[in-house]
Amino acid sequence: MSAPDDRSAEARDAPDRSQEAASPGFSLPIQEVRAAGLTAWLVEDHSIPVVALSWSWHGGAALDPEGQEGTAAMAAALLTEGAGPLQSVAFADALRDQAIGLSFSADRDGFEGGFRALTDALPEAVRLARLAMAEPRLDAEAVERVRARAVAAAKRTLETPRGQAGRTFWAAAFPGHPAGRQSGGTEESLAAVTIPGLRALLARQIRHDGLLVTAAGDITPARLAAAMEELFGGLPAGRPADPPPLPPFHVFDRKIVSVASPQSVVVFGQDGLATGDPDWEAAQVALRILAGGGFASRLMQAVRERRGLAYGIGAGLNTLFHRGIIVGAVATENARVAETLSVTREEWARMAERGPTEAELADAVAFLTGSLPLQFSDSRRIADTLLGMRQNGRPVDWLAGRPERLAALTRERVAAVSARLLRPADLSVVIAGQPAGL
Amino acid sequence: MTRRAALCTAAALPTALATPALASPALAPEPAPKAGTDRPLFGAVTWTLANGLCVVLAESRRVPVAAHYLFYAAGAGEDPHGRSGLAHFLEHMMFKGSRNVAPGAFSLAVAREGGQDNAFTSRDVTAYHQHVEASRLALVMRMEADRFAAPLIPADQVEPERAVVLEERRQRTDSNPRARFFEAFAAALWGPQHWHGRPVIGWEDEIRAITREDMLGFYERRYAPANAVLIVAGDVREATLRRLAEEFYAPVPARPAAARDRAPPPATAREPRLIHHDPSVREAVFLRSFVAPSLTWAPQGDTGQAWALELVAHLLGSGPGSRLYRALVETGLATGAGCSYDGEVAGAGSLGINATLRPGIAPERLEAAVDAVLEDLLQHGPTEAERERAIRQITAGALLTLDSLGGVPRLLGSVLSIGLPLDLAEFWPRRLHAVTLAQIADAARDVVGRAPHTTGWLLPGTPARTGSPA
Repeated sequence: MSAPDDRSAEARDAPDRSQEAASPGFSLPIQEVRAAGLTAWLVEDHSIPVVALSWSWHGGAALDPEGQEGTAAMAAALLTEGAGPLQSVAFADALRDQAIGLSFSADRDGFEGGFRALTDALPEAVRLARLAMAEPRLDAEAVERVRARAVAAAKRTLETPRGQAGRTFWAAAFPGHPAGRQSGGTEESLAAVTIPGLRALLARQIRHDGLLVTAAGDITPARLAAAMEELFGGLPAGRPADPPPLPPFHVFDRKIVSVASPQSVVVFGQDGLATGDPDWEAAQVALRILAGGGFASRLMQAVRERRGLAYGIGAGLNTLFHRGIIVGAVATENARVAETLSVTREEWARMAERGPTEAELADAVAFLTGSLPLQFSDSRRIADTLLGMRQNGRPVDWLAGRPERLAALTRERVAAVSARLLRPADLSVVIAGQPAGL
Repeated sequence: MTRRAALCTAAALPTALATPALASPALAPEPAPKAGTDRPLFGAVTWTLANGLCVVLAESRRVPVAAHYLFYAAGAGEDPHGRSGLAHFLEHMMFKGSRNVAPGAFSLAVAREGGQDNAFTSRDVTAYHQHVEASRLALVMRMEADRFAAPLIPADQVEPERAVVLEERRQRTDSNPRARFFEAFAAALWGPQHWHGRPVIGWEDEIRAITREDMLGFYERRYAPANAVLIVAGDVREATLRRLAEEFYAPVPARPAAARDRAPPPATAREPRLIHHDPSVREAVFLRSFVAPSLTWAPQGDTGQAWALELVAHLLGSGPGSRLYRALVETGLATGAGCSYDGEVAGAGSLGINATLRPGIAPERLEAAVDAVLEDLLQHGPTEAERERAIRQITAGALLTLDSLGGVPRLLGSVLSIGLPLDLAEFWPRRLHAVTLAQIADAARDVVGRAPHTTGWLLPGTPARTGSPA
């Protein structure tokens, strides 16, 4: 019971930004703050002395040169390993002396930065974040340390069935496209990353144009504007190159990766829909009912509650390159993989054929509309939620209108979307472990 | 009144006196009082119901939400001999219905209201929690109190749930070579049947042996109001919570609660050295763990040494700038190195060193470098600069706990459930500031210099191929 939170995250290497939700009884004023030629979204809240800022560009691992996968991820890690006059340890001390949580990361289709800090530490947080982006040192010693860390992490991923299954799934679904590569790189590709290569990637990535910025917490619009000028005003013009368009999801036959383990990890998935699709929210509702978080979903009931086949099972939309891919995961004893898969396919087919019941629809809408305030109790999470909305191209009033749109969904509409989206025959499956009876 | 309830009452006094400083900052003297040293971090209030249940409120009006946590002061450390995993298995079964709530209906009702519910079991506590929109607090309190007073633990649900627990064990531990090693490592230091050496989820054969009667017995002995702490955080007024607590929790009958009975640590490590080879491991891991005092246990009775040990762990292994980082990571012997210590535990604690070996480096070199770092600390002690830096960096973010709905109740619950006063959570930075250089040196000598410890290596491949660094 203690950890189903991370269940649906098993197959992902990026946080799901598709879980945007709202409540009829809770309105959240989002202000638009213009500065430095950019527009930030801000949720202002002075009840706690904490500020969070998040920003992102498209790009990330999609900008990695072929054979040098992991360049963007290493570059992101290196931004906080020394900048300007501050070498690695001095930079880390400057952050930790004031408890500033500054980090950069690269995933398959984007590059993000952000910090959370106490209000008193805001000036120092802005100074260090600017320095990191404008004058990263990339000292040889730091590069080698970060490379060794990245290689260790890439190898560690392959120690577990979970890591093996995830890697194989994405490579099979999007062969030859950045979506199918390991954004953290492999032992071989990381060895090929060079300091000039890192510099070149940062020069293409850290640009003024195409930046999305969000903020939350103890900061006024005026202070945010000043912070934006300092952070982004001096960045070079132009925007990171567009990544290659996402090819269609490649439906593949069941793959088995042999891993010595008493339990198999199954990653399953299929094509979803574009983030701009008018049926996006109807699809979210359908997937919540079929496979969403918590104990309410049909899959959780069928697999865990009725049969005790697994500790957890879940699936959802994994957003990348402006498309939601439906991905799920479950771990079960080797002997029971066949049964788990067959139950999963049956539920997939039942939802596709008949859609939800009125009661299921009402419950799912109640959850999605009622859970909004809970997502706004942590400043970094608020900033990240807003950033996810912006990456998905939502308008600023999207949250405010969401309860009304969800309430207007009919059973017929969700059933039609289920029928259009869910294709049990196309469900592509990777099993890592030593499954029996398949 | 039980000891726990008495502590809860005693804690109420200083908190009540200190709260006005938080409520009216305009009246604060200059310079402004600093949270955690001059005024409480969270401004929580606490009282005790007639049945012995300790209630805590940490009010925050940031957003109209409430976090509701019920902590039982019993965890895997209370599992009976041969029944490791019992506290955790019972936690699963508590979701199978109660007198007025059908099996599974609790979670579905919370989800229907847009809320989140879950539970966790640690060595020290079993905690059940929900995050809901503030007006739904009464709903979850009613259901949680019902489960408190009369869980069903239905006999026909035990076997299906045992299968779920075994899958959870396979997922967390059996399919992960590191997790398997960490489990064996704890057993090597403490012993596989010592409460500190057993896994929280339980040994597989013992999970299989747990009966429904075991669960009913654990519930009867441990899930008593006087052995529980209710913590509510969020947009809730004290008067409201007092009324709701009386309505829902006061009717839970008082009954005697079994006190924790934690055996002392072994006088020497059961196995001082543990070398594991695993073909699925690709990166070698080094561990060394020492038996250490905690805020609730110390061989010489000085639990205050726990604060000094926080600083020892920081100066040894808190990332860039720490001693292990300089000696292992900057020199290219390891890809990562750290030191961890958690003093907020019931019974003996531990201080642990970990490192990931850089490929191509002989394990002996890394281990010798660790030994040299520890020897140097024992010989020459810490520097004043290290003391100041550690205190500054550990305390700088104390208020960040406020920046999440669950952070404050989890911290307060973990402190109160091991019998420590609320004050300790409200003013923990003050305690760190008071630690002297000599106290850090003493703590290092007592633990790193002479406490029982185990050294472990998890190595790739098979013994024949890699050989042992022992």
